[in-house]
Amino acid sequence: MKQGRRVQKKEKTKQAILKAALGLFAAKGFYATTTKAISKKARIAEGTLFNYFETKEDLALYFFEEELSGVMEWHRANRRLKNADIAEKLFAIIQHLLERLEPYEEFIGAVYMRALTPTSKLSPFSFESQDRHLRYLRFIREILLQAEADGEIPPVGDFGAYAFGLFQLAILTHWLRDQSRGKEQTLALLDRCLKMATHFLRNGGWNW
Amino acid sequence: MKTSKTSQKNGALQRGFRIGKLGFGLVGSYLGYQAQNLLLSESGKAQRRARFQKKASQRVSGELGSLKGAAMKLGQLLSMQSGVFPQETLREFAALQMHAPGMHATLARAQFKASMGKFPEDVFREFDPEPFAAASLGQVHRALTRKGEKVAVKIQYPAIRSAIENDFKVFRSATFAPQLTGHLPTAAIDEVQRGVMEETDYVNEAKNLKYFREQFEDIEWVTVPRVYEELSSDRTLTMSFVEGRTLGSFLETKPSQQMRDLVGARLAELFEIQTCRLKVLHADQHPGNYLFRPDGSIGMIDFGCVKRFDVDWRELRQFYEEWGWRKNEAAARRFLKIICGPKAPYEKARKILPDVEEWLELFHPRGSGDLFFGRKREPGLERKMQAAWNRCLRRVFQNKWINPEYTFLSRADVGLRFLLEQLGAVVNLSEIARRVEAGQKTSKAITS
Repeated sequence: MKQGRRVQKKEKTKQAILKAALGLFAAKGFYATTTKAISKKARIAEGTLFNYFETKEDLALYFFEEELSGVMEWHRANRRLKNADIAEKLFAIIQHLLERLEPYEEFIGAVYMRALTPTSKLSPFSFESQDRHLRYLRFIREILLQAEADGEIPPVGDFGAYAFGLFQLAILTHWLRDQSRGKEQTLALLDRCLKMATHFLRNGGWNW
Repeated sequence: MKTSKTSQKNGALQRGFRIGKLGFGLVGSYLGYQAQNLLLSESGKAQRRARFQKKASQRVSGELGSLKGAAMKLGQLLSMQSGVFPQETLREFAALQMHAPGMHATLARAQFKASMGKFPEDVFREFDPEPFAAASLGQVHRALTRKGEKVAVKIQYPAIRSAIENDFKVFRSATFAPQLTGHLPTAAIDEVQRGVMEETDYVNEAKNLKYFREQFEDIEWVTVPRVYEELSSDRTLTMSFVEGRTLGSFLETKPSQQMRDLVGARLAELFEIQTCRLKVLHADQHPGNYLFRPDGSIGMIDFGCVKRFDVDWRELRQFYEEWGWRKNEAAARRFLKIICGPKAPYEKARKILPDVEEWLELFHPRGSGDLFFGRKREPGLERKMQAAWNRCLRRVFQNKWINPEYTFLSRADVGLRFLLEQLGAVVNLSEIARRVEAGQKTSKAITS
């Protein structure tokens, strides 16, 4: 019980640090924000901050983990989506993620550039981000398996989940650069791509 | 920015390829059809035309079925401009417009937020995620305002405006040849593009709604929805909910002949008021833009495409009623000027008169008094009339003279006739015209 409370407290402090950091990232930018400023805003000692996050990259990793967990929970709890077709389910996942990321667009833009560096912990191929990736891919795989079982799409194997992961990255890139009002270009692109992909899958699987 | 443009280009490229393929396909077929006409006998020509019509309609409806707004409008333009499509295809275009592929609930909700800055559940007491009607550029959802008023919320498909611009660019390139020969006038494409772009702006549609609501205020049997400006933007339009059935569903209730005639007369009266009194026309006279109620009252919806014009429709109708061009040369010149425009040489333009008369002979023989719709019902009459009319239009287009306002008005007139025909109404058009001219307000039941 005591240990459970300790874990809870730890998680609460992590959340407080993240909240403080996101506020500062939004105001000053990712690179200009110092760990000192974050700890001051979170009302903790700078040393304590390092107990939780070694670098700002670790903070960003935690942020993405939280957001993706949030998307998975939201999707599992959404009753209406259970009866939706596969194109809408996949659309909803990416769209909900983008909706959550919307307030932190500038921060994500900065992190995105950093993630392109192969040595960065944020790189999709880094050891640190593997666990998060695998959890997310398993979640997508579950959805695709359900669609396969319902006869909506032919078997796509693990490749389907990997392809979706790459597609999501491409959409995120488009979203970051999208200057249209309300980012409606991204909505249209996402909708058309998913409708087209499911259409091709239904009408001939991989043989098209 | 580079990435964004690249992605947009990919989307445009795919759409462009499909429309280009369709454009080239049709233009190629059309040129081939014209070339073979030179070598074929009359009976051979008829067979060839039938084959071309069938192939072209199949290709158009197949390709357009999966595309959105602009492509459908282009299809309508093609059908009107070339005059080579049979009536069935024109009907198909109307059907396409009503059954455009829709947005799923998640996309509609996201697009509402993109245009209004808030999700539907944040501004409405209730919002139905499933659309109840399709519009050519979007779809319509039922909702309840915070005050409990029933409304219809029209949401536009995302980024349709840039998609339409791209479609037109590709279509212009694809139809370069007929534009060069003048068979597909660039001015006509400009006109359609202007109209379609106007339709994408719901602020403009809201203005049109207000205008028509004011104009029809005194007519108790017509309803024009009220706009909720605070719940509308250029891509979302919230209007008061108009009750009523679509034409198909109304006909399923098996209305009496008297009811059909009453509704038909009212539709004709609305048309007459717009063409003669207001000189502003709710342009798409297709069944999807009207709702019908058991008491014979009518709801008008979809005011995206509204056009102002100068042609004197009353004068034109009088010409038809009296076969006015036969009176003297001055009258004939005046009549041809309205149809073909001021630039058409009289000696050449008058060659269309036999075609006009052949068509009118079937519809309204000379000296037969008031102009009626639907009184004569012979098997194949409609087909004969359509064939005569197509011949007339083809001659006009082949000679590159046309008054664009006349094309527009005759398209609307054809639309009204389709409506009356589907309704099975018998309508005394002349009497309605006289009443509107005299400024009388209501339309009582008028039977033949």
